[in-house]
Amino acid sequence: MQYTTDVRIIRLMCTGRVDPPMLADAFMKGADGVMVVGCHFGDCHYITGNYQGKIKVGLASRTLDYVGLNPRRVSFSQCSSAEGERFVNMVSAFDQTIRELGPLGNAERVALPELKDKLAIAKTVLSREKIRWVVGKFTEFTTTGNKYGERFTEHEMWRTLDTIIMDEVATYEILRELENAPASAKEMAAKLKLPPPHVLKYVLALQRRGFVGLAEIDGTSPRYQIVDPMAKEEAA
Amino acid sequence: MAEEIRIGVFVCDCGSNIAGYLKVSELAEYAKTLPNVVYVKENLYTCSESGINEIKAAVKEQDLNRVVVASCTPRTHEPLFRETCAEGGLNPYLFEMVNIRDQCSWVHMQEKEEGTAKAKDLIRMGVAKASLLQPQEPIESPMDPRAMVIGGGISGMTSALALANRGYQVTLVEKAAELGGLLLQLDKIGPANADAASVAEKHAQQVQGHPKIKTLTATKIDAINGYIGNFKVTTSTNGVQEEFGVGVIVVATGARVLKPVGLFNYDGEKVITQLELESLFKKGAFNAKNVVMIQCVGARNEERKYCSRICCMVAIKNAIAIKERSPDTGVHILYRDIQAYGTENEELYQYAKQLGVRFLKYDQAKPPKVEEGRVTVYHHLLGRDLELPVDLVVLSTPLIAGEDNETISRLLRVSLDENKFFLEGHVKLKPLDFANDGIYLCGNAHYPATVREAISQALGAASRASIPLSRDVMTVEPIVSTLVDEDACRGCGLCVALCPYGALEIVRTEKGRKVKVIPVACKGCGVCAATCYQHALTINSYTDEQIGQQIEAFLETGTEG
Repeated sequence: MQYTTDVRIIRLMCTGRVDPPMLADAFMKGADGVMVVGCHFGDCHYITGNYQGKIKVGLASRTLDYVGLNPRRVSFSQCSSAEGERFVNMVSAFDQTIRELGPLGNAERVALPELKDKLAIAKTVLSREKIRWVVGKFTEFTTTGNKYGERFTEHEMWRTLDTIIMDEVATYEILRELENAPASAKEMAAKLKLPPPHVLKYVLALQRRGFVGLAEIDGTSPRYQIVDPMAKEEAA
Repeated sequence: MAEEIRIGVFVCDCGSNIAGYLKVSELAEYAKTLPNVVYVKENLYTCSESGINEIKAAVKEQDLNRVVVASCTPRTHEPLFRETCAEGGLNPYLFEMVNIRDQCSWVHMQEKEEGTAKAKDLIRMGVAKASLLQPQEPIESPMDPRAMVIGGGISGMTSALALANRGYQVTLVEKAAELGGLLLQLDKIGPANADAASVAEKHAQQVQGHPKIKTLTATKIDAINGYIGNFKVTTSTNGVQEEFGVGVIVVATGARVLKPVGLFNYDGEKVITQLELESLFKKGAFNAKNVVMIQCVGARNEERKYCSRICCMVAIKNAIAIKERSPDTGVHILYRDIQAYGTENEELYQYAKQLGVRFLKYDQAKPPKVEEGRVTVYHHLLGRDLELPVDLVVLSTPLIAGEDNETISRLLRVSLDENKFFLEGHVKLKPLDFANDGIYLCGNAHYPATVREAISQALGAASRASIPLSRDVMTVEPIVSTLVDEDACRGCGLCVALCPYGALEIVRTEKGRKVKVIPVACKGCGVCAATCYQHALTINSYTDEQIGQQIEAFLETGTEG
């Protein structure tokens, strides 16, 4: 039973320990692929930890995909401790996939330096409250339902999370831009390749939350800046 | 951090297990170059007496405050090395293990260079994590010296008696009205042909007459809360609720026999199960001239992949019983593979053949056909169908998981396997324990077993259970969740809802609502730490920082190796 020498195993007690920012972190540090391997469903050593693991890896994978990473670089796989051969087959197949994709940046929509910036944004988004609340409620909302007894399908939950990923990535990218220098919505829109009205929507939301304020008015377009020191921390 | 980190790295040859496939001396040389490493030693066997002594000596002489052993799997050897560290005067949780055997030498046998390079990476990652390890103290909690056994079959009764005879108070909970379980339906028990009913009765009498055993029959369990040493159980018997505390729990809930409805024209009269055959024996109502038994009915198929293990031996036992009652009765056993392990069972198999029982192998793809008065089976050596006259068809059906397994697994927060049998902590290392402390497992609840196996397991489980029972205070592994940033915690309860073990609760403190970890109940899975949006919780020895450093250490030198 032999497999590629190109994998390094990091031991965790359970896939439930996998925190989504860890995946972003691994890619930022230069990993070409990340496999999360846990028990089979219904066979979890920690009862339900692997369900949480799958949801968290799913979230990380979607977020990383959104910022430009090829999603095939992330895998959630399952095998028991008695299934050595299955493990070897999974690792070999994943190794093959990564070889086809090549090194990080090779099979991505954006080139490497920019990709790393984007991955950093993804890591921030995955560490923050909003997305973690919703993903933390995933199981409850899809099984017992929310406070009003409304139950959501997994599809609905993922759609909601996809929207949050979009909003959060844009928000933190805007904060990062403003961290560098005051800018107008139009300027940021050009840089972030987003429609200007969308950027304006996010900027106004940040303004309502007190993170962003008016810096100056250049002709007809206002420039914004970070006003809340907390927001500076958030952008870091 | 003011403390100077002094790491000792011990690289194990494991005889030729590791040294035969990796350049171990090169690994040792490499380890010397790693940050914070002040001492490196290559051992022939690190786990041997001399290897252990070298670790202890080095901790003292080199003033080590972290130890890394690069050898085999922590599953088997981490406890030993932790103990070694403790004996050397080092907190045992300042130890990190790197698995260069299972992850390198065994799986990269033909790639000495690449395997060695990978082992270097793994050691670098282990050292990086070790630098961040913090001392942990074992968690202590008081032990309630009482036990509960769930299930009053042979396993449960044996376990209850074994515990009670050691002097512990036992509550035996059985859902049926009387004790005995499956034994009550059996005729004789193989291989010694003991009478099942009298074995059951003998045990039941002992149980009911035992001053230390309280038996609750016709009782169901409503709730189980708590953790090792401190379980609170609520039961109801005929609508009357009862609450009591226990320190350990033995699960002996048994299994059911599959009723082969819709298979091979099963009708319960002309086509019956082995269990029904045994009840014919008991009533003295057996009367047939030609019997055909069919093995693996509803087993080892797409729906139920597993082998129920005992059915072959049951069929052999009952075939012999038929032949001994009525030597002229023809008996055919149509099988796919015969499972008759162990000396006596193999002898019985031979004996059955001597008595004239005919064993015919059938192909799963061409199963026997049962019709009025005959069974047709494809004989794979003759290459054609054989027609066997028959007046009684006996189907060997598997044992299947108890109908309450899912409920009980939820109450106990323990795992089931894919067939809904209870899942042990580890196949080889913890076969009678659950992953959760203080809960043990025996008999058919785990997997189909013979009575003899069920009894051995029951004695084993009782023995395992009596280890914590014999202590006043329970100590558990401190690799658990901790609230590292109390100020950050908002007491939202997101983690509480996701904890599989009920090990988190929200309490009111001076600073407001905060989460509280119940360390004895926590198993350290880490779901809470991976969920908390305030990053207020972490897992000892698996912190974000430690894991991050391992990732960092792996990738810092680029993609070499």
